[in-house]
Amino acid sequence: MSGLYGTLSIALSALATSQQALETTSNNVANANTEGYSRERVVLEPGAPVTFGSLSLGTGVVLDKIESLRDPILEIQLNQETQQQSRLDAELQQLQQIQTAFSSATSGIGADITNFFNSLQQLSPDPSNLALRQAVLTAAGNLATDFNAAANNLATQRSNLNQTVVQDVGEVNTLTAEIANLSRQISILQNLHEDASPLVDQQTSLIRQLSGLVDVQVIPTDQGISLMTSNGTALVSGIQSFALSTQIASDGTQHVMSGTRDITGSLMGGSLAGTIHIRDQEIPGVLNQLDQLAAGFSNAINAANAEGYILSDSEPPTLGGNIFTTPPVGVTGAAAAMQVAITDPTLIAASSDGTPGSNGNLANLSAVHDQAVANGQTPLDFYSNLVFQVGSTTSNTSADADAASQILQQLNDQRGSVSGVSLDEEAANMVQYQTAYQASARVVSTVDALLADAVNLGIDTAVQ
Amino acid sequence: MRVNPNPMPDLLAALNQDQLAVQQASMEIASGRTVNVPSDNPVAAALLVENNDEATFNNGYLQSLTVIQGQLSTADSALGSAVTALQRASTLGIEGANGTLSDSDRASIANELQGIQSELVSLANTSYEGRYLFGGTITTIPPFVLNGGSPSGVYYVGNNGINKVSVGGGYTLAVNQPGSQLFSAQGNDVFLALNNLILALQSNVGIGDAVGALNAASSYFSAQRVFYGNAMNQAESQTTYLNAAKLQISQQENTLSAADLAQAATNLSQSQLDTQATLAAISKFTQNNLFDYLK
Repeated sequence: MSGLYGTLSIALSALATSQQALETTSNNVANANTEGYSRERVVLEPGAPVTFGSLSLGTGVVLDKIESLRDPILEIQLNQETQQQSRLDAELQQLQQIQTAFSSATSGIGADITNFFNSLQQLSPDPSNLALRQAVLTAAGNLATDFNAAANNLATQRSNLNQTVVQDVGEVNTLTAEIANLSRQISILQNLHEDASPLVDQQTSLIRQLSGLVDVQVIPTDQGISLMTSNGTALVSGIQSFALSTQIASDGTQHVMSGTRDITGSLMGGSLAGTIHIRDQEIPGVLNQLDQLAAGFSNAINAANAEGYILSDSEPPTLGGNIFTTPPVGVTGAAAAMQVAITDPTLIAASSDGTPGSNGNLANLSAVHDQAVANGQTPLDFYSNLVFQVGSTTSNTSADADAASQILQQLNDQRGSVSGVSLDEEAANMVQYQTAYQASARVVSTVDALLADAVNLGIDTAVQ
Repeated sequence: MRVNPNPMPDLLAALNQDQLAVQQASMEIASGRTVNVPSDNPVAAALLVENNDEATFNNGYLQSLTVIQGQLSTADSALGSAVTALQRASTLGIEGANGTLSDSDRASIANELQGIQSELVSLANTSYEGRYLFGGTITTIPPFVLNGGSPSGVYYVGNNGINKVSVGGGYTLAVNQPGSQLFSAQGNDVFLALNNLILALQSNVGIGDAVGALNAASSYFSAQRVFYGNAMNQAESQTTYLNAAKLQISQQENTLSAADLAQAATNLSQSQLDTQATLAAISKFTQNNLFDYLK
């Protein structure tokens, strides 16, 4: 096609594409603050030329496509780092809660142990003094109470985490269902050769959210994408999602199930893995150490008390009994169950020969301070070792979480540099397309004038 | 390379870091400590548990030593009085051995000696805060009972028990001597010697020998008293040692956890400055873009 109408048609194509480009710019500006939005740009192509003999004539401009700018590799890295960071954050938050019980050197279990032995020391020069004996029982009571509180707080924290697991699994299922649903919509649009970019952005954003919970890998397939955890559990395959479920195990913990397969222990990333790690490893570990210490301490003190005689005038003298209740066999639950077994201060067996003034057996009781009561360690060495462990786990996790969040920040910067909307850039584009539109409009009005001239050809027109 | 057009998350993260630093510095200043939770310094947190134990026990030993010292000095001064009484008895015995004395003179000396005997019994039954000091570990009843049926004129109802008390540094101190080793020591029983002297004066037989025996028993008794002098010296030097250690333990605690307040204050003002700078950057960031210049 050629001639004035050809020119007009070229100008119209330019008007249309400029308008389209302005619309894209406008859409970018509108979504400048939309989370997960990837900026779009129009890709223009010259219209297919027509040939007249040896002449090849242009036919204007066509809109080839509107493309979203995103870097798939970067998205994968972002997913992985999000999984890492969410797991560490979930762990750190819980570890900080755990370590509060071990924060003070002058109160809590460690100080209670010290105070108990010091109360025995105070009784030593005056072993028949009832007030000093009562002070020993009070110190024993404080120790038992703090063991109970530490164990109960850990148990409560653990049962809260159990709830978190259930909630997280529910959230995973909601997300995977939405992601599969979006896959369906994307494939419909793609079959119609329509722009699915906004849906892809939305899906990418949901996968990012899912990465916050579990370690998913995105595998491109013929039907869109598949999502799999690193242990090979399929969560989404094309347009189908597979829900996870929870099931209460014999120990009362909620296990994560994929069908009939228990995947609780094999989750590697995301807050769910962090939550499970704290619930199944860290808390039981600390609890077990508290149990060992409570049981070892109670047994050693009871044994020492049984070697001496209580404060009484009876003949023959009476050997001492338990100061603490006998810990459960196998130590589990010892910290939570620890209790002072006696209320009568005369039952402390300070005497080594039955006489009221003897302090001989207090030396045996005091010796527990330096005796191996748990894992070959003295009570305080065992305890301070526990403080060190809890502190160093927390501080290492904190350092790892900081590092992960910095990496994540850098990746987000990179993503922003590829996909983020720059208002300056959009303003420049707007000016550019506006100018193009105005120029094309000018061509149209020129063609209009030329057409009028052609129509009025041969008719006198007054020349002003 | 294209610049990330939206640095807001970075700025907010930086702000968060600045605020954390402010919080950390404020916490250090408020508590005066660098170790507020174990993760602040796991090694120091563990050592602080041991440090608290040392500090508590250091005070505990000092407290025990105060009690022990009271007990030792009460016992020692009772024994001092007993030595004086025994010297008086010896003087009276020498007087009684004088052949020119009449029976009634000797009887009155014997009477006086009986008075010394009961004084000695009451000294041997000295108590400190309700505990009898010379009954071994039988501390609830008076260990010496006057009884004419006994050859020595008294019965000892205590035992041979000795209490030891830990006073720090792995060191234990014996805090009592039983009456059976002081007043009624085998072969040097002051009660027996005194009673024999009374009997000798009453019968006017063997007074000189009885005085000799009393002197021998008295000097053995005086020698035993040294135990208390030594124990008090040891208690004294251990108190000095513990007071010195106290300073060292608290210095150790400071090294482990005390905040350097000048440094913390500098950190605080630095991080507050950083916070303000970041806030300024955030407020500037959104102010201008190209759209503002298009007319």
